[in-house]
Order: sequence, then C-alpha cells, then structure tokens
Amino acid sequence: MAASDPNPAGAPEAPWQPARIRPTGRAALAAAPLAALIVVWAALPVPTGRSWTKIALIAAIVTAALSVIRLAISGTPSGFRSVALMSGPARAVEWVRRTVRALPWAEGLIVAVLGLEALHPARPWHTGLLGLGLLAYLFAVHLAETDARLAVLRPQLPLLAAGIGLLALAVGAAALPALDGGPATPVKVIAIAALVLVAAIALPFPGAGTTHRDG
Amino acid sequence: MRWALSAHARRLLTLALAGLALAVVTRRPEFAGVAAPALLLLVTWRAGRPRAVEVRVGTSAQQAVEGQPVPITVAISGQDGYDAGIELVPAAAITAERGVTIPARSADLAGAVRLRFRPERWGNRHIGTVQVTLRDACRLTEGRVDVELPRVRCAPGPAVLASSIVLSKLPSRLGEHAARATGEGVEFAGVREFVPGDRQRRINWPATTRRGTLHLSTFAAERTQNVVVIADLGADVGEDGFTTLDLVERGAAGTMSRYLTGRDRVGLICVGSGIAWIGPGQGRRHFGRLLDLLVTGPAGLERASAMTRLPRAALPPGALIIAFSPLLDRRLVEAIRDLRERGFSVLVVDVLNSGPDHDGSMLSGLTERIWKLEQQAIRFSLTEIGVPVVHWNGRTTLDEPLAPYTRRAIVVRH
Repeated sequence: MAASDPNPAGAPEAPWQPARIRPTGRAALAAAPLAALIVVWAALPVPTGRSWTKIALIAAIVTAALSVIRLAISGTPSGFRSVALMSGPARAVEWVRRTVRALPWAEGLIVAVLGLEALHPARPWHTGLLGLGLLAYLFAVHLAETDARLAVLRPQLPLLAAGIGLLALAVGAAALPALDGGPATPVKVIAIAALVLVAAIALPFPGAGTTHRDG
Repeated sequence: MRWALSAHARRLLTLALAGLALAVVTRRPEFAGVAAPALLLLVTWRAGRPRAVEVRVGTSAQQAVEGQPVPITVAISGQDGYDAGIELVPAAAITAERGVTIPARSADLAGAVRLRFRPERWGNRHIGTVQVTLRDACRLTEGRVDVELPRVRCAPGPAVLASSIVLSKLPSRLGEHAARATGEGVEFAGVREFVPGDRQRRINWPATTRRGTLHLSTFAAERTQNVVVIADLGADVGEDGFTTLDLVERGAAGTMSRYLTGRDRVGLICVGSGIAWIGPGQGRRHFGRLLDLLVTGPAGLERASAMTRLPRAALPPGALIIAFSPLLDRRLVEAIRDLRERGFSVLVVDVLNSGPDHDGSMLSGLTERIWKLEQQAIRFSLTEIGVPVVHWNGRTTLDEPLAPYTRRAIVVRH
C-alpha cells in the first residue's frame, strides 16, 4: 500500500505521476543487505564439520535470497494474459513467480537464522545483536511491502525500546556465569508463560466491520 | 470487510515463537530476549475494530480519452482510529497514480480523496479495483475491502490536426470557411460599383474617391462543408501501440474533432467486419456518437459483402471524404475508386507502417518484394484517378502529411 499524503477531492490537479513499481524507497534497499548481514552474522564462525549447521546455513541463504526476490517482485503486475495462453517456458516462469510470491520466505528466514544461531555454542552478546538485526529486517520488509514511511513506526517506538531493553537484560542474564550451563528453570517458566500469551493473541477474533459498496 | 493478522504481525509472531521455543529447547535465555521485542509489540494487538466502515467510490467520467488522466473520488468514514490506505489496482492497459493513506487522526474529517487513472489504449476498458486497507497504529491488524470500478469507454487520443482541408466548392450552408462566392463574411473579396439596395456601411471610400463613383467592398461568403471520415478498422498490424488500427482510430478522432471545432458537418463510416455509419452532423453530442461508433466498430451491423459501394445516405453530395486505411482490403480500395467515380473529393491517409515478416530466404524476400510492388501499384492507381494518398506514421501531427492539401482549397473536379 502506498503512503503519500491524501489528495483531497477539491484540491487543484497535480501533474500526472504514475505509481512506481513497488517496493520503493530506502526500506526495500535496506532489506536485502540486512538479510545478507543476519545470515552472515548467524553463520559466523563458518561451520566446517556438523551437517545440521550446514543444512541450516543453506536454508538461511535460500530463504534470505527468496525473501528479497519476493520483495522485489511483489509490486510488479501479475500479468494480464491467462496462464493457459502462455508458452511452456513462460508458464513455468509464471508458476515460479507465483510460488515465490505465495510462500512466506521471511518467516522461513527467521526460523533458519535462529536455528543456525542455536546450533552454535552459547554466545549471548552475538545472539542479542542477531535479534536486533532480525527486528530491523522485519521492519524494513514491512515498510517496503506497504510502501510506508518510517514515521508510521512512531507509535511503536516506546514498545520497541522496552523490548530492546528486555533483550539487553536477557543477554546480560545469559552472560552471568551462574546461569551458564545450568538448568535455567526461571527462563523456562517465563518462556512458557510468554508462549501461552502469544498463542492467546494469535487466536482469531470475530470481525465486526461491515462495508457498503458503492459503484 | 475482511479482517486478518497483517503479514508484519505474522512475522513478529514467528520471531516470538521461534525465540521462545529455542530458549526452552537450548536452555539459553538470550533467545527469550530475542523474542521479547516481538512479544511486546504483539501485546498491543487491538481486539476492538470499527463497527461500520463506509467506503464510497465515485467517478464522474463515463468516457475517458486515451492517455489522459481521469479522476475518481474515494470517501471513507467510520475508520475509527485506523489508518486507511487507498490504492487503485489498475486493470490491463490502465496505469494508476500512487495510492494515498488517510491517517487515523484525520478520520473525523470525512473528506474524499482523489485518485487518478490513465487508460493507455482506447477501447471499452475495465478500470480495475480500489483497494482499501485499514491498519491499526502498530500495523498488526489489517482490514481489507476491494471495490470493483465500472467499465469505461475510452476514446482514442486524437491526432493533432491544426489546419484543415477545404474544398473550392462548398454547399450553401452558413459556416466558417471563406467561399468563392461573395456574401456576408468578414474576409475581403474585392471592390465593385455600388448599386441601389447595397448597404451604405460597406462603401469603400478610398476606391470611391479615386474613381469618382460610389464603390463598395465585397466579402467572401462563409460556408460550412460536409466531411465524411472513413475509418478502416479491418486490419490491426504493426508495432504495438502504433498498429494500423491505433493510427486509424487516432487519425479519425483527430480529423473529426478538428472539423467539428470548425463548425463543419462531419460524418463517419466505419468499415471492418461490417459497415456502420453516422451521417454528417454538428455539435458535441454528435461528436460523442461518432466516437462511440469509432470505438465500438461496425460489428453486428450491415454485412461487409456490400462494401464496394459505400452507403449513399452517409455521403452527401459535394462532401470531402478522408479515408484512414492501410489499404490492405481490396474491397475498400474498390469502394474508394467508386467514390471518386461518383464525383467525390477523396483523400486517403495511408497508415501502413510495416510489411510482412520474412525468414531471410530468397523465396520469402521475393514474396515481400512482390507484395511491396502490389502495394505501390494500389497507391499509384488511386493517385492516377485523382485520389491523393498520403502516408502517416502516427508519430507526427497529421498536419505534416496533409500540408500540401491544407494550404489552399482543393479544386473539385467532377
């Protein structure tokens, strides 16, 4: 969705400016290097022996690439010709394009990158920075997808600051030698409570809005 | 309105769940920390939604013109603290301006916003859909509604024609072209001796002083002319956007517009799978009818088998006939010959800008040469019987190819 200023119906005519192919702006440009950065950051040091780490790294690279491709093609028109009228190669290209657009690659990237990080030995400060990178990537993708300005995130800034504070606390707690290698029962309890909270939020809520359509 | 979690919320949820799960499985609290910002943002998810959202979409344009922006207005009310993003998703051959977002804080203004679309090609077109998306402040919930826009008839972008071809002999109807006959116009025609009954205000005093008898100025009569445009819609070949059909449509629209602006009477004969025509007339409404016929074409009307003789009702005596055609249809060529033999002044604007494809073989090249020679022969034969054929590529104004015929009146020969 675009995010230019509203053009009131009574305002004078502005010069014609066709919509650009989305995504536009710095957010889209930022998403690609951020995706690369978090994959590289999570992969360091580069795995040599363990096969699971290699699999996670490959998954992270593939999902990062596809999420950026998905972002790049999300604004292109889907084509006006019917697939049935296309030639074989064109049909295959169209199928790939639709598949890339349909699947949630960014979610896959999150899981793959966190999995890759988890396969490394514990390094709290490294994981904390990865978390910040993932957040930045998610917001960049959101801004690029909706073609919105950075200002739309202003209402979320206090929560974001509080969340980053919690992240710093968690990293600090993990860095304490007393917790290192222990059973970490308090973390388990907090995590399970938060899991329940998130599941409750995710439950579908019945919509109350009605819309009148007018030609 | 369809309400759902936004893609952003789904990604945050994934981050939160993955972080928490890894924290539990690996017993590493830093993963719970990674999940914390996402969790906090998800906590702001609002249960309350606008009770009734009203979206009104209106367009005043029943007819658009190729290449010219057309406004539509979108009014939304009842969004109740949600940002409303409004975007026009254009259909084929339509481009749209960038969408707009009405911030939540201006919800009570209830003002309509204007979006514009531009048809890129003439025809009866589907505009597209207006997509309205409501988002909460944290962008976790999305409500979406699509409003289908009606079809619009898009007229061809008229070719520029600033000058006009005028015949030497015009019918005696009041118009704006200076005729050979003297009358009540404003263009000076000459001086003659005064006869009783003449208007005294037209006395030419310098001539009277020189000759010693009363002389008065005469003026050219102002007449209208009948113009019939023939649009050959039977072929559509050539470069995309500049096919023969595009050029015929644009050329015919530009010519009709030019002559109707000059208060001439304009008629149209469309030749394609059949024949359809509208007799000469004047005025804005008549122009609308002509454009409608030009866009819809002659399908379903009189069969084209009788095309070699064009309808007499559409061809008033002494009319100027301007045909836009690639001259690929022999029947139309015969019809033009017939018109000339019937005494009409005919001018053909040739819009063919491409030839048949050939694969580079000798036989193919020979075929192409023969085809070109045939085309030249057709044009030559028309020129020989007094039908000028000018070539127009669609990229220049129509004035350029028509220049030799717009500088002076064309003498009518029967």
